[in-house]
Amino acid sequence: MSLRIENLSVLYQDGDHAIQALEEVSLRLAGGRCLALVGESGSGKTTLGLACLGLLPRNALVRGTIRFRDRNLDFRDEASLNELRWSRLAMVFQHGSANLNPVHRIIDQVAEPLIQKKRLGRREALAKAADALAEMGLDFEHYKRYPHQLSGGQAQRALLAMGRILDPEVLILDEPTSALDAFNKGIVGDVIASAKTEKKAVLLITHDLEFAVHNSDDMAVLYLGQIMETLPSKDLLVRPLHPYTLALARSFPSMQTARDLGGIRGDAFYRTVHQHGRGDGDTYRHSHIQVPESIHANGHAPPTGCLFQNRCTQALDGCRHEPVILEKIDDHLVRCLRHGIADLAELRGVEKSYGAVVALHPTDLTLKCGEVFSLVGETGSGKTTLAMIQAGALNPDKGKRIFDGRDMEEWMRRDIRSLAGRIGVVYQNPAESVSHRFTVKEIVAEPLKIHQPSLGKEKIHERITRVLRDVHLSTDEAFLRRYAHELNMGAIQRVCMARALVLEPALLVADEPTSSLDPSVQAKVMKLLLELQIERGLTMLFVTHDIGLARKISDRIGIMLKGSLVELGPATKIISEPAHPYTRLLLDSACGIHSGSKLTKRERKESKGCPFVSRCPRVGEQCYRGTPVLKQGKDRHVACYSPLA
Amino acid sequence: MHISFRQNTLRDPWFIVGLGLAVIFAGITLFGPALTPFDPMDMSFAPISPPSADHMLGVNDGGQDIFSELLYAVRNTVTFGLWTALLGLVLGVVVGAIAGWSGGLVDLVLMRIADVILAVPSIMVLIFTAALFRPNPWILAVILAGLSWPTTSKAIRAQTLSLRQSLHIKAAARMGAGSTYILHRHLIPELYPLFIIGFAAKARMAMFTEASLAFLGLFDPGRKSLGMMISYALQFYYMDIWWNWLFPPILCLSLLIVSVTFLALGLEKVLDPRLRESIGGRAL
Amino acid sequence: MTSTLMHPFSKRRSQNRFGLVTAFCLTALAMVYLSHALPGFLPGDFVTAMYAGSYVTLSEEQEAELKAFYNTDETFGNYLLRLLRLDWGYSYAFLSPVSSLFFEALPWTLFLMGTAHLLSMGLGFVAGVEAAWRRNRFIERGLVGGLTVLEGVPEISTGVLLLLIFALHLGWFPAAGAETAYADFTLWGRVGDVVSHLVLPLTTLVAAYFPGNFLLARNSMMLVVTAPYVTTARAKGLPPRRVRYAHAARNALLPLVTRFGLRFAFMITGALVVERINAYPGLGTLLFNAIQARDLPVIQGVVLMSSLMVLAVILGLEVIYRMLDPRISY
Repeated sequence: MSLRIENLSVLYQDGDHAIQALEEVSLRLAGGRCLALVGESGSGKTTLGLACLGLLPRNALVRGTIRFRDRNLDFRDEASLNELRWSRLAMVFQHGSANLNPVHRIIDQVAEPLIQKKRLGRREALAKAADALAEMGLDFEHYKRYPHQLSGGQAQRALLAMGRILDPEVLILDEPTSALDAFNKGIVGDVIASAKTEKKAVLLITHDLEFAVHNSDDMAVLYLGQIMETLPSKDLLVRPLHPYTLALARSFPSMQTARDLGGIRGDAFYRTVHQHGRGDGDTYRHSHIQVPESIHANGHAPPTGCLFQNRCTQALDGCRHEPVILEKIDDHLVRCLRHGIADLAELRGVEKSYGAVVALHPTDLTLKCGEVFSLVGETGSGKTTLAMIQAGALNPDKGKRIFDGRDMEEWMRRDIRSLAGRIGVVYQNPAESVSHRFTVKEIVAEPLKIHQPSLGKEKIHERITRVLRDVHLSTDEAFLRRYAHELNMGAIQRVCMARALVLEPALLVADEPTSSLDPSVQAKVMKLLLELQIERGLTMLFVTHDIGLARKISDRIGIMLKGSLVELGPATKIISEPAHPYTRLLLDSACGIHSGSKLTKRERKESKGCPFVSRCPRVGEQCYRGTPVLKQGKDRHVACYSPLA
Repeated sequence: MHISFRQNTLRDPWFIVGLGLAVIFAGITLFGPALTPFDPMDMSFAPISPPSADHMLGVNDGGQDIFSELLYAVRNTVTFGLWTALLGLVLGVVVGAIAGWSGGLVDLVLMRIADVILAVPSIMVLIFTAALFRPNPWILAVILAGLSWPTTSKAIRAQTLSLRQSLHIKAAARMGAGSTYILHRHLIPELYPLFIIGFAAKARMAMFTEASLAFLGLFDPGRKSLGMMISYALQFYYMDIWWNWLFPPILCLSLLIVSVTFLALGLEKVLDPRLRESIGGRAL
Repeated sequence: MTSTLMHPFSKRRSQNRFGLVTAFCLTALAMVYLSHALPGFLPGDFVTAMYAGSYVTLSEEQEAELKAFYNTDETFGNYLLRLLRLDWGYSYAFLSPVSSLFFEALPWTLFLMGTAHLLSMGLGFVAGVEAAWRRNRFIERGLVGGLTVLEGVPEISTGVLLLLIFALHLGWFPAAGAETAYADFTLWGRVGDVVSHLVLPLTTLVAAYFPGNFLLARNSMMLVVTAPYVTTARAKGLPPRRVRYAHAARNALLPLVTRFGLRFAFMITGALVVERINAYPGLGTLLFNAIQARDLPVIQGVVLMSSLMVLAVILGLEVIYRMLDPRISY
């Protein structure tokens, strides 16, 4: 007993325009499993739900098929659809009270399908309805009430009882948890769980990602009517492969996410499909994103391409025209020209020593497009070294560096300027990183002068003012003529950020950008960094000793100790369930818990054994014998013989 | 809610027809006396004569020229209707705005009074008063206005209650503006759509009432009215006066009321977009 | 448990209804008071003024009696009691007690108006509901357009036109009266006769009331049809007619009841006029004749009683509305 949706496309007609609500959506709902359909408003989720029940309005053009129990649903055969409705396929809508008839009592409404469809007698139907409502946790006194007398949660529960009353095989829940508190959400969760044990199929349509992650088995991400990714639900916060999925996961407040909320830049609009003539008089259909109420410009080229490209952090030129299809990557299905979130930079086996002192042991690191990666560690852990190697400011002794698919050594030899323009760097000590002879204007203009010397004065001024505005600094002449030493620390740091960003780099490397700032200024600068990262789709490599700070901003964290990475993984996991004892120590210190003896003298044999033995509470025999290697665990990399998780 | 009046209204056929008719009737009302060939009171012509070159619609049983009568009758009906509507509207707006704005006891009392007046059949009161006192039609107009304001006041009150929560009014209050200032500068201009609809509805009802009262013979016989003409003509229905005496006042009365109805309809459509066709449920 | 589920009863509701009734009783009393007090404002010699312009001539004796009758400082209390005893005065124009005139005319009026309202409400509602549900292009243009025009045409016009065409030109229906006087009919014959006399005035009134009801029902239904609970009802796989009536139309009914109540007091004008046009022997004709004859007692009695009846109808509508809409607690 499954529901198969195959290549379903739905268009809403309005005169000579049409709005594409869904495009070539294919899904499979199997009995005993719950599929979550996530997306934001305008993505077409509700349309899909309504389509399954044949409830689309008359002006909807439907293509593709929906198969239930190996038979196609015929949308024109109202009678047979009516047969199926509620008894086999039931849909529970959102906003409980609005979906209940205000003039009928709720018990009557719950009993109605029994009376009308199963031909049960009134008494029996009411008794059964009362049972169903009781199962949902509603008290007897509510049964005789009218919808306006119930709270939102109670109304939603009544709707759930009503949806299950005929024991349908497929249950579609449309935003069942919007405006509900945790307790009521739990009830919805129970309904889903019990449906699954009864081998029913559940389609959960929602934008509540946390609820979806906890209650569904699989997830499909919908954007403007197209499926962008399908993935097992548990992967959403840990391993999203599509840039939109990652951005969604970041935007949702939950106890699991570590970094602050970030939106997605740009706006999503309706997808309008126009039908009108071109110059040679024949009509043609083309589909494009149309801002509502704007004037449609005639004669433009029909685009295909990725729908998300104008908001994507890693869009290429090709993304605008080339057709994009769903392809299988691991156990996900991803619709991306770049096969999911691409790697921006990769470091393989880079190491650096200064004489006898090893600053950096051979290390591998991959930076993904659009992410914020934090390197956390104490002084001397090698984090700055690693970051500077990535930035191209330092050359490693050994190892390979790849940026945007190209080998950096070779690139730097050929054309260092173009590489330098792609990477922006913000240093730890802002005052020292700028020349005290330069005015603000000159500081910010410097990269432009170096990389594009032919740029006219006007253009330079325009670029400077734009980037200064982005970092929330004044753009009037008086300010531009100030010298660095006339500004306060926060302002200088922002000027440095402006300088790093003026060439619109793809990667921003920030080395402890706020350590020398006052806390309140620090907070402002951090907020700004985050904002910029989202607006510009930057990839950021952030170096800090403060794990609390890293938490607020990162997608992934790498913990460094004495020149090596000891733990590497998604920020949510590392913060909530650290695997390496050192990470645990860092977190505890950040919380103010200082455990263990501070000055234990445990000797560490030179260059052998784990670098953490002197302070590790879980130290064992093998820890002295050899350095643990960074190994891939369930959802992260850890270098430890007895990790915590 | 900013309504783009121009585009939608001017294209609406109802509105155009209504407007056209209204213009014609306005013309008759304003220029009536100048257009009539004879004095409608002049009873010197041969009674019940068919239409002729001199008398376009013939002569009635009292020896008066029907065409002149008709023009004066239209004039009387229209002025009665307009004045009643205006007065009723003003009363309704004032009461409704005060009730909605003040709330509390004032609101309660005013609305109770409105409910009581609503329940009273205005025609009965008018008949009774007219039968007893034979007053000036203006007095009747005032009484009718006094009985018809409740409907408008309820609508205005509802709108006022919701507008009271609107931000620009709250902002004005915070700036220290007094109630009368706000009422008159912020609130009442917001209610213009309701004014127009209320006025059209009242005018329609007032004209109809005037015609009916005249039909029942409650006005001074010297005052020309469409209703009165029909009433008299009806008495002679067995004679061949159907086309020239009976039909014209009926036509005029119908067109008059129809034109006001159409005007009101056209306006109502603009202001209630839910009644227009929409993309069937954009539930995306 | 199920028995209480089957019969909802709320004590609070009946208390509120009581409050409603009290309000209406007060209004009724106010009306009675007005009808009592208003004649007192007549200037000069009341009786002479009244009968001076009338075609009724009074003898000395009658005049004196009348004067005494009307100039008594009858208290309001007495007046009220007198009314309750159905002693509504005496008509000198028709030489009969007012109450008997009233009760002779009342059944015809009830018959005419009742049938007209029932027909137009029933047909109008069903037609409006179906029209709104189907949104057919032809219906939109033709029917709605035509009925809008018809709604604008006042009862006077339609009444006279129908009379002229069907009674005078074509002679299909009688031109006056409720039944043929002095005729000797069998039961069915009598029924047929009454019906044929009823047709013209009934058609006029229905033509006047139907468009309004239809358009109102249609508008109300169009708003309801887009409501979420209607989609839910359809999703439940219920038979389409049930969705249309038990769910959608049931909710569309509410604003109709309210608006009907508001308009009812104004609808009487039409009924009066139509009765006069067709010489239907109801209260309208009675009133008209009384006005012609300047017969004050009849006018007073008919006006007061009709107003009270209207009040009762409006009260009934309020009660019905409260029964229909569970969201109203007052």
